Amino acid sequence: MKATKRTTRRKYLVRATLLAGTGVMTTLTGITAVGVAPASASSSKVTLQFWNAYNTTDKEATTMQNVVLAKFEKQNPGIKVQSVVVPYADLEAKFIAAAAAGNPPALIRSDIAWVPSLAAEGVLLDLTKQKWAKSILGGALPGPLSTNLYNGNYYGVPDDTNTQVFFWNKADFAAASIAGPPTTLAEVWTDAAALTNKAKGQFGLGIDGTDVWNVAPYIWSNGGNFTNPSWTSTTGYINGSATEATLQDLVNLDKAGDIGSDFVGGSGSVSGETAFPKGEYAMYIDGPWAYPTYSAEKFTTPADYGMELMPSGPGGTVSTVGGEDLVIAKDVQNLPQVEKLATFLTGTYAQLQMANQGDLAAYKADAAAEVKQQPYLSIFVQQLLTARARPVAPGYSILDADFGAEMQEVLAGNLSVSNAMDTASQEANAALVANS
Amino acid sequence: MIATNTLDERRPVEVLPGVASRRSLRSQRARQAAVPYLLIFPALAVYAVFTAYPVFRQFEISFFNWHIFPGASNPFVGWSNYTKIFHDPIVRTAARNSFLWVVTTVPVQIFLGLFAAAVLTDRLPGSIFWRAAVYIPVVTSYVVVSWVFSYLFASQGGAANAVLGFFTGHSESINWTAQTWTTNGVMWLLTIWKGVGWSFIIFLAALDAVPREQMESARIDGATERRVWRHVVIPELRPALTFVTVLLVIGAVQVFTQIYEITKGTGGPYNSTQTLMTYMYQNAFSFFAFGYAAALASLLAVVLFGFSWAEIRVLRQQDI
Repeated sequence: MKATKRTTRRKYLVRATLLAGTGVMTTLTGITAVGVAPASASSSKVTLQFWNAYNTTDKEATTMQNVVLAKFEKQNPGIKVQSVVVPYADLEAKFIAAAAAGNPPALIRSDIAWVPSLAAEGVLLDLTKQKWAKSILGGALPGPLSTNLYNGNYYGVPDDTNTQVFFWNKADFAAASIAGPPTTLAEVWTDAAALTNKAKGQFGLGIDGTDVWNVAPYIWSNGGNFTNPSWTSTTGYINGSATEATLQDLVNLDKAGDIGSDFVGGSGSVSGETAFPKGEYAMYIDGPWAYPTYSAEKFTTPADYGMELMPSGPGGTVSTVGGEDLVIAKDVQNLPQVEKLATFLTGTYAQLQMANQGDLAAYKADAAAEVKQQPYLSIFVQQLLTARARPVAPGYSILDADFGAEMQEVLAGNLSVSNAMDTASQEANAALVANS
Repeated sequence: MIATNTLDERRPVEVLPGVASRRSLRSQRARQAAVPYLLIFPALAVYAVFTAYPVFRQFEISFFNWHIFPGASNPFVGWSNYTKIFHDPIVRTAARNSFLWVVTTVPVQIFLGLFAAAVLTDRLPGSIFWRAAVYIPVVTSYVVVSWVFSYLFASQGGAANAVLGFFTGHSESINWTAQTWTTNGVMWLLTIWKGVGWSFIIFLAALDAVPREQMESARIDGATERRVWRHVVIPELRPALTFVTVLLVIGAVQVFTQIYEITKGTGGPYNSTQTLMTYMYQNAFSFFAFGYAAALASLLAVVLFGFSWAEIRVLRQQDI
């Protein structure tokens, strides 16, 4: 009896100790296993993850996976590339979380607007002194190249570029007896009123939101701006007279019911790309990706719609530089293989394949070939000559959020344009200073 | 029998004098005392690593201009992240909204949950079906439900506008999720609809535990049904009420997914639907202001702790 009971207690103690010990050992083993996995993988075939936000509703994502990456894998039998499509809204946060956890993907196709803030966080590999990147950077178009610059160094290489041009629906214009597209901003405002037909649910103008990307072409073309040339202050720019005058024109149009629902936003609002081919928005601005989408819907140019340079104002015809850069996390594994992948994606084959999907080539050597291959791209290439990059500063995302939110306040009738832009200026200045 | 010693702590250790030495007795007691600590060690270790340490670390980060990437320089900024909170107008809006989430969604969920639990008794025909119907929203995904509500309240083609149009007789195109109070209203409605089933199931279990004899005695003594509930049922439900209230308040202050999904991550329009959680997330993962986000998280933790402590105190003291 005595012996049995003592044994029971001992057994309990021993089992409890073993259990706790096993738990700790399992955890440690798990950690070790995670740590060694890449090393064992590298002995055979290296697998690289390429995170991107390619469109899955058209052929953009499948072209990358099945055409471009398939060719790369054929040329590099020791490397397998997984194209991981992440929703655009989640990509940046997901990447930074993965990088902070020490498990970043090999390569990321980052929105150009994110590069300075990611670089400021210290997440990205500085490519300035990387030998393989030098020739790539040297061959890039100046606009896309500038979006990789932070504190004098390059933290990415351009992947593709784009800009928005002015789209007009020919049937809507004919119905309103307007002969041709507007060539000046003043004509845009008058045509928008004339093209609006509330009974038919038709709006003269579509603007896809109050953020910088969607509003900037109107502001820049009218001679306004968001910041000074060095992107350190917004005072006198975001709340300057030309910027505020443009915004007031847009607010007036919105109050008159001449701008579609996507300007204010909210659930059920209709994007320009959806409304335009239906004739619900007679005019709007969009990028080169719209063309293949519309072609698939049998809505074609020049029969159904036209694409023109941004209507000009005192600032000329100015649109926004868009696009994506390829960035690499600072502590990426398998760097030699990643270099090969980045070099391939910025090469002529990949650039021209993706140009077929509306992603303009970001390199001088490919510009002529892509227009020959896809003549509709010529208007975008022409617009790029005068297009501007959004502020290339780590505080840009705050500036963008502040500007968009203040504009929503104006559209809701809570603030005047002047008061809203003064507030936006104060908030954005603080962000630009804090993140410089 | 020299000694009896099992894991049953209530039984005293019996030692016959002269058989076991004082030393072995001490060692025996020490080992015995160690057993519970050893048993709770795994849980304690998990708690320490995944809860206590992150809380401490977050508090530490709130005093720095923090960069998330390991090895990056993180300048010490003292209390400046906290002082910034008190000058930030969006924090005021977010705090107001968090408070409104509590006062609008919590009482309604408690009332409807309790009401449903009281009505859907075993005696009701088809009670199993109705119970399942009330509970089903709880097991649905917040992301999916948020999208469904976005469609229901869409400005064009939304069911809400169609229903309104049916009753008013003319076409409605209210842009529900583009205005402050309608957006908040849609999200409160979603939260109540999805959350009622959870409080319902807790109250259903608690109601089952209310002694029938007490209720019957009260009825025999002439108490009306209202008095039975007031003086018998509700006091018996007090632990369940405390539990439900505290967790619903914590849930309401921590609300995130439905706002993120319905406002597309912006807390819009013009930040007017931000709560402390969504603003904290935006600062961390959109603006990379991790130090400021950590300060907001610390503030949120203090608020939640205060809320929970006060609620437990009040509900325990009140004879409800």
